[in-house]
This record gives sequence, structure tokens and C-alpha cells, in this order.
Amino acid sequence: MASIRPFKIDVPDASLAKLKQKLELTRFPEGEVEDAGWDYGAPLQVIKDLTKYWVEEYDWRAVEKKLNAIPQFKIEIKVEGFDLIDIHFVHQKSDVKGAIPLLFLHGWPGSFLEVTRLLPLLRGENGKQAFHVVAPSLPNYGFSGRVTKKGFGLRQYAEMGNKLMLALGYNQYGTAIVTQGGDWGALIVRVIGTLYPQHNKASHINMGLAKEPKWDSENPKPEYTKRELRIMKEAEIWQENGNGYFAIQSTKPATLAFSLADSPTGLLAWIYEKLVAWTDEYPWTPDEILTWISIYYHSTAGPGASIYTYYEVHHDPKFNLLSVREYVDVPLGFADFPKEVAMAVPESWRKTLGPIVEDVKFERGGHFAAWERPEDIAGCLVRIFGKGGGAEGVVKL
Amino acid sequence: MSQVTPFTIDIEQSKLHRLHQKLDLTDFPPELDQAGSAYGAPLSDVTRLAKYWKHGFDWRTQEAKLNELPQFTTNITVDGFGELNIHFVHQRSHVANAIPLLFIHGWPGSFIEVTNLLPLLKGGQDEPAFHVVAPSLPNFGFSSRVSKKGFGISQYAEACNKLMLALGYDQYVVQGGDWGSIILRALGHYHSDHARALHTNMVLAGFPKPLNAPFRFIYSLARHALSGFLPTYTTSESESLARAIDWRFGSGRGYFAQMATKPQTIGYSLADSPVGLLAWIYEKLMGWTDDYPWSDDEILTWVSIYYFSTAGPSAASFIYFESEASNRDRDSTDKLQAYVDLPIGLAYFPKEIANMPRMWAEGLGKVIHVSESSKGGHFAALERPDVISDDLKTMFGKGGKAFGVVDGKSGY
Repeated sequence: MASIRPFKIDVPDASLAKLKQKLELTRFPEGEVEDAGWDYGAPLQVIKDLTKYWVEEYDWRAVEKKLNAIPQFKIEIKVEGFDLIDIHFVHQKSDVKGAIPLLFLHGWPGSFLEVTRLLPLLRGENGKQAFHVVAPSLPNYGFSGRVTKKGFGLRQYAEMGNKLMLALGYNQYGTAIVTQGGDWGALIVRVIGTLYPQHNKASHINMGLAKEPKWDSENPKPEYTKRELRIMKEAEIWQENGNGYFAIQSTKPATLAFSLADSPTGLLAWIYEKLVAWTDEYPWTPDEILTWISIYYHSTAGPGASIYTYYEVHHDPKFNLLSVREYVDVPLGFADFPKEVAMAVPESWRKTLGPIVEDVKFERGGHFAAWERPEDIAGCLVRIFGKGGGAEGVVKL
Repeated sequence: MSQVTPFTIDIEQSKLHRLHQKLDLTDFPPELDQAGSAYGAPLSDVTRLAKYWKHGFDWRTQEAKLNELPQFTTNITVDGFGELNIHFVHQRSHVANAIPLLFIHGWPGSFIEVTNLLPLLKGGQDEPAFHVVAPSLPNFGFSSRVSKKGFGISQYAEACNKLMLALGYDQYVVQGGDWGSIILRALGHYHSDHARALHTNMVLAGFPKPLNAPFRFIYSLARHALSGFLPTYTTSESESLARAIDWRFGSGRGYFAQMATKPQTIGYSLADSPVGLLAWIYEKLMGWTDDYPWSDDEILTWVSIYYFSTAGPSAASFIYFESEASNRDRDSTDKLQAYVDLPIGLAYFPKEIANMPRMWAEGLGKVIHVSESSKGGHFAALERPDVISDDLKTMFGKGGKAFGVVDGKSGY
């Protein structure tokens, strides 16, 4: 069995020095249109200010030190048809009896970082359900290795996730995702449920990519709530106005990768625009933003690699955005956040995803719910896996 | 009348120096094994070009070559947008009654695309002569940046029309591809007392409308319905339709979707990363041409015109946003593709990204000339200047169906 090695993030000095050089040579757009706001993309002054902060104030080493207080490891995982990939992961074991192994999967433009606010809440303090938390960087993201061959899609990510849990000795586990929306974590969870029901005994997601049910006399079409109608409308707007990144990443990732790899501000704007658009008025601090971006900028595979997920899934005839809507017979918990709009569907559609054990609507929060509303996410997990919960006892320890 | 000032491209040395500093610091992304060009611009091509850009490409030589084109600037006021400084090539013929021709580029093209046409439109023998005007559109080349929202197709048309009027050309004919072909539709609809005939090499047209053209509608519907079973479309029409669908809705849709929704966001990369800009443009120069033998010098000159543009490389993306935004009203696709009562010429090229069947194009106007070539792509004036100039000479020369369309300017 491959060995598990402790890992500490340590970006080379040379990389930091080069980044500074590049930032200082940044050429910004000549201007923007008056009163553009966010309509045309990330506003110029905002990006200029963040760039300035990045050069003059942001302290990556301090961030790195804080991150390294979180238990991180690496292990080589072999996914069928691909070379060994060195997988980086957070692993917080709980001392509490009855702790359930939980696999957290992030998406784009998220990272393993998103689990960090959940960690203190899932230790099992005060008699709450405890978890052993495993949160990898997906291949091509964070500090995991690069995928070198074509065709690494949802199936491959699922295989990686499953093998990681097995390598850690967790024969049965629950999956949960850190990000939601068209987000890869949720979809990988669905594929894990499809392929490994003997291991993955329950899931929790916040992303409602589901088919409309067949309405009939036994299952009549309900009247949608105001909330549902609003979310569906915003999803339409997202399709019209917020989907450019999806289109280019799904079709020509290599072309875009040149820009994302070479321009720190280009990468910053590309990601930050989504950090703002997809959250519920979350008060991002410059440090937070730049840390999120830095995990991409300093990633092992480079900032251009992560976007290939979109292409690979889009071109996969078997495991794609349509196939993930099929029913998966694994207990499923759902958390509905109001600003999660990409591909959002009414509650009544979610039945088609699997046996829903819990469907909770929250008043605040968006796409990066575990970051914005960690207590809510942790609350869901503790509830559904704990005593009296809908997925109580599904994981045999 | 606003003053017309001769113009010479003269990029500041400090900008060249900065470019080289940035090229030296380029970080390249890795590529998948055997990626080919399916995922986008191939790494080996871009690294080769970047290396040449650093070590071999001589901007001053290319600049001098460009400056052989007679260039000028003048200030044009566009309603609601104030004064814009418009850069343009202007080749006057020695034939006084030469036909004024407005040539409109698109993205990622520029005024440079008129270069190969210029020697062919001088007239002489029995051929009509043209006075050729090829502007840099606002936000492109060496024209001003637009700083207000809403500069859509109508505004581009207004700017072009006013430019021609400012040069004393009360009436003129228009040739264009890419955005040029869309802007010339607006010229035909809104400035037909000045724009007297249109020629395009990107034949965008709507499906025939049942009320406007019942016969063409029924015929086209039947053809389309049967096309699954019978070869009702010609091979070139089928291939063109498939190519258009792939461009707009399939593998080619990404750049358009991004630029039409968040041009400023991609703009940061295009402004800041020379290689990022290079890849973004190069992918189209290769993908949209028909085995055109691009030299590295040519590619980098095309890219440099964006890199050193007055408005900066990010500004050019805004035409996509504003065109989509204004697509809801005056400049909707439906309106622009509606019949315009002017002589129209069409040039079909096999590797054009968006050509619609001939029968659909009949609805664009009084189609008086159609050419169909066996070679050529999206940048037709670059790749097949012979075809474009032949079309223009046929349409507007003696015996041509649009001979004398411009009052007092027969071309002879």
C-alpha cells in the first residue's frame, strides 16, 4: 500500500519573488466604461486595489504557517488508465467514539481550504456526532499532482476519492461536499454514490442539478414557492450572463490556460468575479480573496490545469452533467441556500436524485456555503448522521 | 469639418521595453499528452511564437511596413459618446471619380486586413478605381477607447458613416467581414442615403420569414425538413451550416460567450499577459483560416496591433457585450438581417465560420452578385484579396449591376 506522508505547504522563495516581479509589472486595462459596476466583469479599481494589496501587504508566509497548523498529508493514488497522482489532503481524525469518516470534495474555484471552517465543528464536541474528516485537493487543484492524460473526468475523480478513503482504512464512509452549484464536488459525490455504494453510504450536497420529475395524478406538479421562482429566475440569468467562463473552460481550456498561468491579476479577476457573484453578500477580506487565489496561483499543477475539468466532463459520454441527474440509491441530505443559483431546481425536483433524508432551506448563504455558513453545513451533517438523523447508522464503523 | 491629420504608428520605446520584460517572465501552462489543438492553442506553437517574439520579432520593422499604408486620424462625434479619435487607412485613387469604398474589419482583425486589397483597387485598364477607407473601429487599433456603456452596432455604424462624410464621401460602398459584416447591415438600414451598396464575406442571414418571403420560406423549410434523409443542401451548404453551429453553439462558442458577458474580466488577462493575448488570438488565426501560410511575423504583427492598441487589448472585447446587449432592440439580429433595399454582393468561402445558405441570404437585400470560392476562410481580404476585389470590380465596374450606384463616382 502506498505510504501516507505528512505534508506542509512550502511555496519556494523563488516563486514568491517572481510573483512579486510580475505583479509590479502588471499592465491593467486602459479603463472601463462609466458606471460599469460589475456588469462587464470585475471592476477596475477593485482589481487594482487587490493587486496593490497583493504586492505590498499580503503575507503568504503567514497564511502558509496558519494553513500548516491543519493536519495535511500526501499519498500516491493510481486511477485506472492514468499515472500515479500524488494526492494532497487534509485529515482530521476525531478522538470521539463513533466518529464517521467523511470525504469532503471541493469544486472550482474552491479548494481544500473550504473545509477548514468546518473542522472544529465536526470533532464531536459536546456530545455531537463526530467525524473523521478527509478533504483532498482534487487532482489538478491545490497541492495535488497534475493530470497528464486526456479523459480525467467525474469517474476518475470518484475513483480517486474512493481509493483515498480506502487507503486511510475507511471502508465505509459518508460523502459531503464543500461547495455546491455546478460544482464538481457535488457531481463527484453523485458518481461515488453510483459506483461505490458499498463504501459510500450517504451523501450531503447543496447543489440541485436534478431532472424535472414526471408529473402525474399521484405526483402532481406543485405550485412553486416565491423562493423557488426567484431562484429559478436567477438561474436563468446566470445561464445568460454568468456562463462565459463555463463555455470557454468546457471548450478551449488550453487557450485560456495561457492567460491564467501567466497573469496573476488575470487569474485574480477570473476567480474573484465568481467569489463575489456566487456568494450571499459575503464580506470577503483582501486576505481571504488572495488566499483563495494563491492556492490556484501556487498550485502544483499550475493555475491553468483546474479548468480542464470542465472540458473533460463536457466531453464524457458516460459521466456528465446529464448522467449525474439520474437516481442514485444512496441516502441524500440536501441543503438549499438562497444564493446558490447555478442550475438550481425546485425542491420537488430533488426527489429524482435519490432517497432524500433531509431537505433544509436556509435564509442566508450561497455557492461556497461551507465557507459562508459553516455552522449550517456542520449542523446538517451532525443532524443527519447523528442520533435520530436520516442517515444514522448507515455507516458501519 | 474636423481636421484630418496624417498618422504614423510610433509605439513608445518604453512600451516595447515593458513588453520584453513581461515576455521574459512568462509562465507557460503544461499541456496534456497528445492534446493536439482540440483543447485550444497548442503549447508548442505558442512557445515557439513567444520565443520568437522575445528574440527575433522586430516590431520596428513591422511598424515601418505598416507605415507604408497611408494613415490618418480625425475626430468624429458619435451621439451620446462625445468625440472619438478615429484612425484610418485612406488610399485615394488618382482617378478622381473613383468609387469611395469603406472597408470594415472585425475581431481579431484590424485595419491591416485591407493591405492586400489596396493594390488591386487602384483601377486602370478597364477596371473601376476605388478610394479606399479602412478605419480602426473605436476600441481597436489606433482609434480611441469608448468610455461609456452602450456603444453598439448602431454607434459603430454612425462612426463609420460620419468618417466617410468627414472625408467628403457623401455616398460610398461598403465591404466587410466579421463585425464588419454586421456593422454594414446597420449602415444599410440606417444610412442608406450614404451607404449605397454592401459586400460581405460572412453571409449571416436569418431563415426566410413566412410572411415576408412565403415561397422561400416553404422551399427552405422543405429542404431543411428533408435534409436528414436527402441531400437537399449542397455539400458546401451542409458543411457551412455545421461549421456555423459548431462555431456559435459548439466547440467554438467559448470566446464569444466570455467576451459577450464579462469582457472586463477576460480583459485583465489580455492586457497583462502578452502570451495570454497571443494564445487567445492565435487560436482563431489558425482555426478560422483555410491553410493560410501565416508567418510568425504576420501573426505577431496582428497580435501587436492589439497589444499596442490605443484602447488596450481588453477594450476590443466590449463589442461582443454591447452587441449582445443591444440585441434586444434597434440592433437586434432580426432587424439587421431584415431586407435592405440596396445592391448586395456575397462572397462564400469554404472555411468561413458562419455562412448561411444562399436561399436564406436572398432576404438580405438586392443580391446582385454571389461568388463561391473553393479556398479561403474568415479573413477573406487577407487570404483571397483577388476574390474580394474581383467581386467589387464586377459589381461596380462598367456593365456591373451596381455600376454608378454612387452618384457621380463611376470609378473611371
